[in-house]
Amino acid sequence: MDDVLSSEVVIIGGGVIGAAAAYFLCKEGAEVMIVEAEDLTAGASGACDGFLSLQTKQIGSHLDLTLESMALLPGIIEDLDIDPEYNPCGGLMLATNQDQLKELKARAKKVKAAGLEIEILGTQELKEMLPEVSKEIKGAAYCPSDAQINPIAFTLGMAQKAQGMGAKIIKGCKVENIVVTNNRVREVHTTAGSIHSRRVICAAGTGSNEIGKMIIVDIPVMPQKGQILVTEARERMLDRIVSGAEYLGTKANLDELLPKDEDAIRLGLGFTAEQTVSGNILIGSTREFAGFDKETTPEAMNAIAKNAINYLPWIKNLDVIRSFAGLRPYSPDGLPIMGPVKGVKGFYMATGHSGDGICLAAITGKLMSELVLDGETSIDISPFSLYRFK
Amino acid sequence: MQGKTGSESWQEVWDKSVNGPRALIDCWQEIPCDPCQEACAQGSIVLSSGICAPPALHAETCNGCGKCVAICPGMAIFLVDRSIGSGLARVTVPYEMRDEIRLGGEAWAVDGEGNYLAEGRITRVSGAGRPGRTMLLTIEVPEEWALKVRGVRGRRKLLEEPEEVEAIEAVEDFAFCRCEEIDYSRLREIITQGEFRSLPALRRFSRAGLGYCQGRFCQSILRSQFLADCPEEDREVESFRVRAPVRPVKLSRLGGEDG
Repeated sequence: MDDVLSSEVVIIGGGVIGAAAAYFLCKEGAEVMIVEAEDLTAGASGACDGFLSLQTKQIGSHLDLTLESMALLPGIIEDLDIDPEYNPCGGLMLATNQDQLKELKARAKKVKAAGLEIEILGTQELKEMLPEVSKEIKGAAYCPSDAQINPIAFTLGMAQKAQGMGAKIIKGCKVENIVVTNNRVREVHTTAGSIHSRRVICAAGTGSNEIGKMIIVDIPVMPQKGQILVTEARERMLDRIVSGAEYLGTKANLDELLPKDEDAIRLGLGFTAEQTVSGNILIGSTREFAGFDKETTPEAMNAIAKNAINYLPWIKNLDVIRSFAGLRPYSPDGLPIMGPVKGVKGFYMATGHSGDGICLAAITGKLMSELVLDGETSIDISPFSLYRFK
Repeated sequence: MQGKTGSESWQEVWDKSVNGPRALIDCWQEIPCDPCQEACAQGSIVLSSGICAPPALHAETCNGCGKCVAICPGMAIFLVDRSIGSGLARVTVPYEMRDEIRLGGEAWAVDGEGNYLAEGRITRVSGAGRPGRTMLLTIEVPEEWALKVRGVRGRRKLLEEPEEVEAIEAVEDFAFCRCEEIDYSRLREIITQGEFRSLPALRRFSRAGLGYCQGRFCQSILRSQFLADCPEEDREVESFRVRAPVRPVKLSRLGGEDG
């Protein structure tokens, strides 16, 4: 293609983060172009569950950011033409032993102090909320603000809305180089031609490291594989999103809540379950480092299935129809990487959201719009700076 | 693709097939799947190290009944029969199309990638009268191809330009994905809006092929309609990723408990 394209802002990546950034930028009247190497939601946003889990966030800036994001969500959803199947259902985190319950209690106190409502349930209260839970479960932490959403519909909804406001979305377009002169982004070279732009947002998820190389910046994002089982569609059986305390241990790297079993630790196994609007139950999950390999493995599928039965015994009678794996854009401390890059004016990062991209998309999109258009943000984003790693 | 079932067992199949049909297993996926073992009344198919292991065949006891061929969801089992002699072999393959192939007719034997191997006569068609069931076709080919044949194509089909994909000219609407209840008109609407440039993306958004049968019924319509409606320059013909467990399996079995 010989056309010379140009755009006020170029967003690299058509996942949930790129779509959210486009949505907020278009709201402010910016001229936006999304370049996506494959298709919308081809990466982590299209291969994950729909958990919007607040209680699994790290206490501090991570949780604060999440609360801001969740506050934006209803407004966005109202605005979309596609129903993203948002369901403010609340979330249960189950403890399989007294030690775990003690940990959950201690953590609940801190989480409450940080502004998130959370309640510790004994076996009796839990039974009322989740009647068919295993007898081995000693209690749970219940977070009423936890919710679920269809990540694919959510992403597509925001992308379409942005498109309606003038955003261009170029699919099957791979970024090959980024031209920087006089310390400023000038041009993005892609397989669909050159795009003149002075502002580029990197929302490339697991591809961010490659993008960083083009401007000689090390963006420490690597793929972390998560495997999920999908059951047949059934009548409503699960009213809340449910996880095990070990899921929190694995996700937030809390020693006290890590699984005891060696294989489970190696797989990064943690129980999660949610029933989607279509009726399928998604059962997770693992956290593994296997490069860009997206295959599901018999070992993990076996471990996920076995683990799930420990929490919800009735689940064993369901048919599993599919499995899938997605690659989270993992950052070394699990927190997103957001903000400008030293020495390259006009280049902004919105990546490394690890397993929290869906949950943090709304606020990330808003912050990117502020940063790109005003040069400053309404919330302090220094905890998410690239330079915290140095 | 030669599988982990190993060339040793294929050699055995080759040797024994002079006495009559024997099953040739070309399964290399380590997925939880065992209908072949269940179907074999002779006990000739064994998954030695659990449900995820590729099956192994005892060619000695196999009687060539073909039940495993019909039941394998991956269409990865075939029959080889060299008992007719004169340098010919009869190969039986699973077949799920409904077209012009018929008994006594000439057809083309193809390999796993659909490449032409040899021309041959169809000597047996079974299961044709039962809609929804996998048919078994037997084709007679020179015996050097016996271990390579993986499919049969009608000659006319191969002679056509491969790019020419005929779309269904729908007169009436119908639920083309019965599991997810997606109408044909809805599918065309989604495709022609041009939002998706690959089959996996189309499937992700339309949910067609994501139901209980995992696309066994609707996948071919989805594909041909996509090829017909999506402008060529915009599309990428990437096939679906076939993911375990391929055919629904009870979670308790996947978890290693008895179901």
